[in-house]
Amino acid sequence: MNKFGRLALFVIALYVLQTSLLPMIAYRGISPNLMLLLTVSFAFLRGVRQGGLMGFATGLLQDLASGTFFGINAFTNMLLGMFFGRFSDRVFKEQFFLPVMASISAIVADYFILALLMVLLGYRFNLVSSLQTMLLPMLIYQLAFAYPVHRFTYELDKKLSEKEKH
Amino acid sequence: MSNRVRKDKDSHRKLWAVLFVIVSLFCIIFFAARGRFQAPVSSKAALLVLSPFQQAVSWVGSQVRYVTSSVWEIVTIHEQNKLLRNEVEQLRVQNLEASEALAENERLRTLLGYQQMMTQFDMVGARVIGRESATWSNVIVIDRGQKDGVDADMAVVTEKGLVGHVLEAGWNTSKVQLILDPRSSVGTIVQRAESRVAGIVQGDLDNPTMPQMVNIPKNADVVEGDVIVTSGFGGTYPKGIVVGLVSSLQNDSGGLLKIGLLEPAVDFQKLEDVMVITASREAPPEPIKPPQQTPGTETDPAAQAAAAKAAEENPQ
Repeated sequence: MNKFGRLALFVIALYVLQTSLLPMIAYRGISPNLMLLLTVSFAFLRGVRQGGLMGFATGLLQDLASGTFFGINAFTNMLLGMFFGRFSDRVFKEQFFLPVMASISAIVADYFILALLMVLLGYRFNLVSSLQTMLLPMLIYQLAFAYPVHRFTYELDKKLSEKEKH
Repeated sequence: MSNRVRKDKDSHRKLWAVLFVIVSLFCIIFFAARGRFQAPVSSKAALLVLSPFQQAVSWVGSQVRYVTSSVWEIVTIHEQNKLLRNEVEQLRVQNLEASEALAENERLRTLLGYQQMMTQFDMVGARVIGRESATWSNVIVIDRGQKDGVDADMAVVTEKGLVGHVLEAGWNTSKVQLILDPRSSVGTIVQRAESRVAGIVQGDLDNPTMPQMVNIPKNADVVEGDVIVTSGFGGTYPKGIVVGLVSSLQNDSGGLLKIGLLEPAVDFQKLEDVMVITASREAPPEPIKPPQQTPGTETDPAAQAAAAKAAEENPQ
């Protein structure tokens, strides 16, 4: 199987896990966003260009497969993928602490971009209570899942780059 | 040096391309939310590609859940059995009263010459195979699609109450927008006979587990604990499906209207099986028959035995 096929399979597997199994452990309808974690990890390993592309692809998959506001995930994931891709040449790839911590700032940024889009679309909500009921559980979930997702992405990336060298 | 210049030119072009993508995505979000843009075939294709994986994984998930819940049920079965017996006794008394009232109702209706029709539904059972974690919208994926007769804008229910409506039907899966979604709005009325106040139930971004009933006049007769049912206005949802209970009432920020926070009838955290209403038609109601009583819990064993014997002798 070629490189693209493996990556696509990995993305689909994570997405299916996120939508079919993880809702079982959801707290008040909030479950971890693995697509965002994957985007951030991939961006840290591969840089701006591929990070942005990965964010666009995972976000588009989310938007197409779920009936959410069309385009919002493609938009935010791409922006975040490109942003975190900028750090890729400044950290060691073996270093796990930074990407895992970055996933937290990623979810916070994701939350605020989406909140801004919601306000622009004309939906009103109370920011303080929404911060408590949405952002807090999301942060905890993201932190819990950041390490395993980054680990898997790292292993996959290592295998794929080995292939490239040969 | 020339290499460097080319790189600069290249990065300029890339920057413009990226900007173009970002701006067009931004526009697409707004057009899509206003219903002026729909992702063509690709959305259905994505559903089709994902559905076998989702079905397999959610099957595994439901097996795990089945085992754990079975163990828990076995542990609590004794206590639950006692409570259930108690409830059955009470319900039987209520049932008797209800059939009395039904008989009286029928008599009075014939006296008045009032035509009695009830709505019957054709339903398709479906399993929930996917749920998006996005906190700004609430959409589930079910394993029935156009090949089973499911189409957009059909109401989705469970035996407890209203779930939502079909947003988009693919070939073998569909997306269902829950009533918790901020984009969903359902025409409803208060079920209580003295009240019958109408309002609209919308999803709430502040509290994603409790929808709001809005547009209630300030002096309207709505109290905590009222049952809210669909009104049938608008046509998407048939009349009389339970939506939820009013758990608290608040004043609207405008000051002229009230907002009721609803406790939904359906437990959206544990949504596994739903039913899609594919057609509804009017038909005379079936006569109420007392259900078969479980051996060992009969309230009147002799009468039950006699009824069973009579049913055996002249089957219809």
